[in-house]
Amino acid sequence: MVLLWPLLIPLLGSIALLGCRDRRIANWAALAFCAAETAAIGNLVWRVHKSGALEGQYLRADGLTSFFLVNIAFIMVLSLVYATGYLQHMGEGRFTSPRWFYALVNLFLFTMVGVCLSANLGVLWIMMEATTLASALLVGFYNTEGAIEAGWKYLVVCTVGIAFALFGTIVFYLAAVKAGMSHTSALDWSALLAAVSQKQFDPNLMRLSFVFILVGYGTKVGFVPMHSWLPDAHAEAPTPISAMLSAILLNCAMYALLRYEILVSRAIGREFPGALLVFFGLVSIVVAGLLILVQRDLKRMLAYSSVEHMGIIAMGMGLGGTLGLLGALLHTFNHSVAKSLLFFGAGNVRHNFGTLRMDRVTGMGRSAPLTTAVLVVGALAIVGMPPFSLFVSEFAILSESFLQSRYLVGGVFLTVLSIVFGGFVYHLFRMTCGEPQQVLPKPHFTRTEYAVMFIAGILLLFFGIRIPEVFSVLLHEAVKVLQ
Amino acid sequence: MEFADVAAVKVVSTSAVFLMMTIVLLAVARRISTSILVFGLQSAIITAQVAGTAYLERSIEAWVVAGLIFVVKVLGIPYAFFWLMEKLKSRRDVQAATTPAQSVLIVVIMIFVSYAAVRSYTFGIRVPEDALAAAVALILTGAFLMVSRRKALMQMLGLLVLENGIFLAALTTTFGMPLIIEMGILFDVLIGLLLMGIFAFRIRDTFEHLDVSRLRRLRG
Repeated sequence: MVLLWPLLIPLLGSIALLGCRDRRIANWAALAFCAAETAAIGNLVWRVHKSGALEGQYLRADGLTSFFLVNIAFIMVLSLVYATGYLQHMGEGRFTSPRWFYALVNLFLFTMVGVCLSANLGVLWIMMEATTLASALLVGFYNTEGAIEAGWKYLVVCTVGIAFALFGTIVFYLAAVKAGMSHTSALDWSALLAAVSQKQFDPNLMRLSFVFILVGYGTKVGFVPMHSWLPDAHAEAPTPISAMLSAILLNCAMYALLRYEILVSRAIGREFPGALLVFFGLVSIVVAGLLILVQRDLKRMLAYSSVEHMGIIAMGMGLGGTLGLLGALLHTFNHSVAKSLLFFGAGNVRHNFGTLRMDRVTGMGRSAPLTTAVLVVGALAIVGMPPFSLFVSEFAILSESFLQSRYLVGGVFLTVLSIVFGGFVYHLFRMTCGEPQQVLPKPHFTRTEYAVMFIAGILLLFFGIRIPEVFSVLLHEAVKVLQ
Repeated sequence: MEFADVAAVKVVSTSAVFLMMTIVLLAVARRISTSILVFGLQSAIITAQVAGTAYLERSIEAWVVAGLIFVVKVLGIPYAFFWLMEKLKSRRDVQAATTPAQSVLIVVIMIFVSYAAVRSYTFGIRVPEDALAAAVALILTGAFLMVSRRKALMQMLGLLVLENGIFLAALTTTFGMPLIIEMGILFDVLIGLLLMGIFAFRIRDTFEHLDVSRLRRLRG
């Protein structure tokens, strides 16, 4: 039941919220369900901490689950509180009313929590595909030409990608059945974990399966070259959704990939999955890092930055070692906080200036100082400047690469980081400095929006200086599952 | 051996050939309606194969799967497609980027590639090589249809063909996944189609055409 609550609450929430026709009631109901969900996740995380791992037939939770669930809960609270302010600017349409928005968001949360909690590789696939389905309508929410194009592309590209993951799942299942496991337990993660070190799994099938899984779930993580849906979807979705896509959906896909990585590396050794992850990670870092330079749209730039950071996380996971894994896990969390902060800032830019084209916005520093402050803090954090928390995690990953004497990997990583730094600073300076061209009516100022951004900013700073005890316990329990 | 046993064995062993035929038919089909019918036929062949396997393995689960596939893929999905075509009032040709001759050449090459690809994996396991090759060929054909046909409806159909291939791969290698997982996958496919249908309506309403290759505002 402890395992079931975090799934039931958003599911009930999405049904209940569909009935809230009044805007104000919908806002409060959404916040209430959000609070309940946070409590349910908190309870689950506490139980996992007490007893190590919770096992059910189709659901299970261990340290890694807890870590990603905490991430989900945190970003969910930030995004939903931000959304209550954000939705005031949104026009009323047939399917573009707050109740539809909240109902779909809750469904989306249900699927993502489902990904983290699934104990069965088949269920994991079903939930992963469901995340696409639940969020496609949210991506196309504005119903403009761009939004529809992005939604269609997202749906088609991700469904095909995930189909490859299904093929990978089947190959994995075949390998498990061949190794002598029963049909019912051959998809069960815990049973597989016990079996991979004892039974003989066909290494060829394991490799084939991991390649398909990497391509399939990698499409959702946003690895280059399967990333084509990502910038469109992030740029066209409503801002709270952009934040959720970037900050939790990509992490959930990474989580699915990690579950396989653990099994495959125990069965056939770390080299093969590690090398693939490092390769895809580096390719994503380099390509996305260069594409950041030439972007014109603020949200698209942020989306490419997400691809880059997913690459960094994959690289850390691929390198392995305590520092690499710690750094990569910490980076998933840090990146989500920094990226949601930036997307929230971008949402304000859109409201204040009516555009996200970076070359059309000038003198933002004078006309909208608070939004500028948010963007500057977010950008400094995302490029990995100290004292913000992303510096810590990126430094850990970099140290690991040098510890393992993989100078090429570390060198490429450092080079691209400096290029990205240049890109962000260049784009941001052009927006913030100079004379304001536009005459602004009066900048929208919603207190909740700024409160959310303030919390995220403080957190980035705080985690950069010192990681709290509670969080560090969570982190180490998650790393224990990975090792 | 009883007659029913012989029939079941024959169905399972020959279905791969018929599936290859549907692949070639899909390549030459000029109209969307023909493609939909061929897809229905293809699903019917797969249903027969599942039923044959169910009979030989004496498995009730497999009978349930066969029934589900028959209802959903042979009856439901083709019917929904015809309804969608009617509602969208879309033009009837598939708007292929390749000529039928080129398409046939490409799918034939794909069939060869599939045989070459599965050879090394069928060696150790007792699976029919033809069936597994047909599965891989279906996956490739589905992907080919998605990139070469410009109509939104044909992209959806390509996805279904691809999904058929993956299902067949699971069936031939491991006699299918556990029932509950199969049902979940089928459910996801259905919801996915529903959403794509919704988007097809929105594309038609916003852009006044269904040609997906002309959706190219978002670049870079």
